[in-house]
Amino acid sequence: MLSFIARRVLAAVGTLFLSSVLVFLAVQALPGDVATQVLGRDATPDAVAALREQLKLDRPAWERYVDWTAGALHGDFGVSLVSGKAVGGEVGMYLGNSALIALITVLFAVTGSLLLGILAGLYRDRWPDHLISTVSLVGMSVPEFVVATVLVLCFSVALPVFPAVVLYGPEASVGQLLPAVWLPALALAIVMAAYIVRMARTSVIDVMASEYVTTARLKGLSTWRVVTRHALPGALLPTLHVIALNVAWLAGGVAVVENVFNYPGIGKLMLSSVQNRDLPVIQAIALISAIVYVACNLAADLGAMALNPRLRTRGRT
Amino acid sequence: MTATTAIVSVDSLSVAYRSGGRDVSVVHEVSLDVRPGRTLALVGESGSGKSTVAATLLGHLRHGSRVTAGTVRVDGADVFALPARELRRLRGGTVAMVGQNAGQALTPSMRIGRQIAEVGGDIPVVDLLEQVRLPRPAELARRYPHELSGGQQQRVAIAMAVAARPKVLVLDEPTTGLDVVTQRGVLDLIGALRDELGLAAVLVSHDLGVVAHMADEVTVLRSGRIVEAAPTGRLFAAPQDPYTRRLLASVPRLDDAGLALVGEAGEREVRPRAVVSDASPVAVSARDLTVDYGSSRAVTRAVDGVSFEVRRGEVLALVGESGSGKSTLAWALAGLRAPSGGAMTHESGDLAGPARKRPLSLRRRVQLVFQNADTSLNPRRSVGDAVRRPLRFFGTAGSRAEAAARARQLISDVRLDPAFVDRLPAQLSGGQRQRIGIARALAGEPDVLIADEITTALDVSVQADVLRLLDDLRRERELACLFISHDLAVVRGIADRVVVLRNGVVVEEGPTDAVFADPGHPYTRQLMVAALEPDPDTRPLVADAPEWTDAAEPDDVWTELGDGHRVRRWSPLAREGVA
Repeated sequence: MLSFIARRVLAAVGTLFLSSVLVFLAVQALPGDVATQVLGRDATPDAVAALREQLKLDRPAWERYVDWTAGALHGDFGVSLVSGKAVGGEVGMYLGNSALIALITVLFAVTGSLLLGILAGLYRDRWPDHLISTVSLVGMSVPEFVVATVLVLCFSVALPVFPAVVLYGPEASVGQLLPAVWLPALALAIVMAAYIVRMARTSVIDVMASEYVTTARLKGLSTWRVVTRHALPGALLPTLHVIALNVAWLAGGVAVVENVFNYPGIGKLMLSSVQNRDLPVIQAIALISAIVYVACNLAADLGAMALNPRLRTRGRT
Repeated sequence: MTATTAIVSVDSLSVAYRSGGRDVSVVHEVSLDVRPGRTLALVGESGSGKSTVAATLLGHLRHGSRVTAGTVRVDGADVFALPARELRRLRGGTVAMVGQNAGQALTPSMRIGRQIAEVGGDIPVVDLLEQVRLPRPAELARRYPHELSGGQQQRVAIAMAVAARPKVLVLDEPTTGLDVVTQRGVLDLIGALRDELGLAAVLVSHDLGVVAHMADEVTVLRSGRIVEAAPTGRLFAAPQDPYTRRLLASVPRLDDAGLALVGEAGEREVRPRAVVSDASPVAVSARDLTVDYGSSRAVTRAVDGVSFEVRRGEVLALVGESGSGKSTLAWALAGLRAPSGGAMTHESGDLAGPARKRPLSLRRRVQLVFQNADTSLNPRRSVGDAVRRPLRFFGTAGSRAEAAARARQLISDVRLDPAFVDRLPAQLSGGQRQRIGIARALAGEPDVLIADEITTALDVSVQADVLRLLDDLRRERELACLFISHDLAVVRGIADRVVVLRNGVVVEEGPTDAVFADPGHPYTRQLMVAALEPDPDTRPLVADAPEWTDAAEPDDVWTELGDGHRVRRWSPLAREGVA
């Protein structure tokens, strides 16, 4: 069991290392370098050379990679070319805002959609199932920016409950942002939930038809006990990786929705950094996305281990 | 009703399944009674409704089925009229069930002890596990189902069933997936518990040997209707209904000297075995074959130094329990698994390489028929396609039209209507699918046919037909056939020679009649003792098998009994404390 965990963690670290190399190389491969980016088209060659030296761009790529990763490990991602502030602090601020949305989305979307999926599976082919399945199919087919726009129309324009756009900057406090968080979170949750609902429904149906659930029923157990103790561990197993992938998808999904709501989160920062060619920031964001993906999958693997004793007891006879 | 009143009483029960807007009747006016302490067996082939009837005792119906008429009363309560809470109390409390496949009936994510404990009842889990004779019960209770063997899982399922001390036990094919020796152990346990606890039992089985061994009364079902109901002794001695007679006659016996042919009214005629001339060439042989499983760190030797040869027109049976290496051997011969040592040769070439490296002409000559015809045919392809494909692939049919004609011919060769070419596997019965599996193997015009447990999944009457077909084919086509089976009675009927495998090692081999008349190795004896005959008064073919230990020396492995019958050397093991 310990060796299983160790192997998974090791694989996660390896994946992260590879993605950091890829991120670094991708940025290197962009035409021009940071010095020409900063100084613009009219810069004299002398000025460019001076800045290159100042930014240590004249050193070989692998040395800069080592410096960058060493810094990144301490939370130091260099300096933003646009604001001149430390990238770490700036990204952290936006990231915190996004995390607020992500947290609420995950909390509601995952629990809600799991419940709905299980419900649909248990009431297979009856009206709760038809309702849930149809609605989730619609949620799946509509892109998130459309959902977001419809939500704004409903809850900001027609029925002004939530703000349509955020008027605060990235320094806004949680209290200031909180009213604005719900609509983006809802938009993301609707899109994300669809996948989880459908997956949970299918696996609940499969497991409920299994012999061991029939056996548990014929043992005279209550439906509640049959579902929670016997059916759910097996049903959650395949759903777990769908959840992990969807949570990881949030990192990208957030970008689109944040722009609809003008929400000062990581997605917005990413877009503006790309427009401004603020390479250190792009690099940092790319690395953070990789970390989110790897962490989600690692969590799913460990969760699978908790649900499946076969993975835990390997090596025992 | 006699001395005691029935605890289970089913009265003209009819069950229907709703399909495509119509009610399809699966059980029709079935009535039966079981008194405390008695065992009633429900016998029938697949689709007879026997499991459906048994499940109604627990108030359970498959999704989409419903009771259309009649009542089921257990311990005085009308099962289908009970409110949910009472029904739950009935299940587990009054009636408990042991299903066919304990491996799938136990929840994989829950420890065994907890699964037993949640049934309720006052008996500690450890005591229950001890009662089903499982070793080290305290430790076992903390294990998960996948850490147990099939026999152990079935014992756990039994412990779970008797945990709350029910009055009625429903046993739905309780030993079908198990080896003969394990099956015998589980049946003995069930019998002992039934007598000890005074349970009434309803046993569902297609295996008439098991029924003869366990039941007091037998009810024979066919297509949801009762064909015959009688006390076990009378039913087996003097079956009244032609269907029952046919069913009983279809079961292969350990003392048949050849394949039994069964007539319409159930009369049996044993066809003498085909004579294989000594002059007929050896089609395929293996010498000191070993096959290993696993990585280089942990090697499991599945087949260990096995040698045999099969002549044209001869059936050689490989017999043994699961894990004895018999299927691995078949796969190695078919080129699906690389051997780690030894040699395999065919009349026309070396079989050392894997199937994909063998020349096409050699590959088509060694063909495999799988155990499970349901999963070995592509469900989206017509059976004609399945047969045509190897015809084209091996080049045995030139043009498209010729292939189509040959496919029809092959399908009629396996005694099916050639009009079946356009059917999908799902539209065929199990026996018909297995025939298509054989037709597909024959398409390459092989001279070696490997039959890996091909009748295991079939009903007895269908099994008899498939065996008959195989016997006909090897006579007509001079096929060398490697017949793999765990069922000794089947082997007795069809095989000319037998090789008994245990843990990958040959312990006994010889002509079928010689081996069955005088089994030399204790393991062979053990298999024969455990085999159950469809006759309650049958005496075992051999007396109990002694405890033994292997005594083969590298240069002195065999005890020769003459005529090719030889036994691996063994010595009796002195039992401690026994005079």
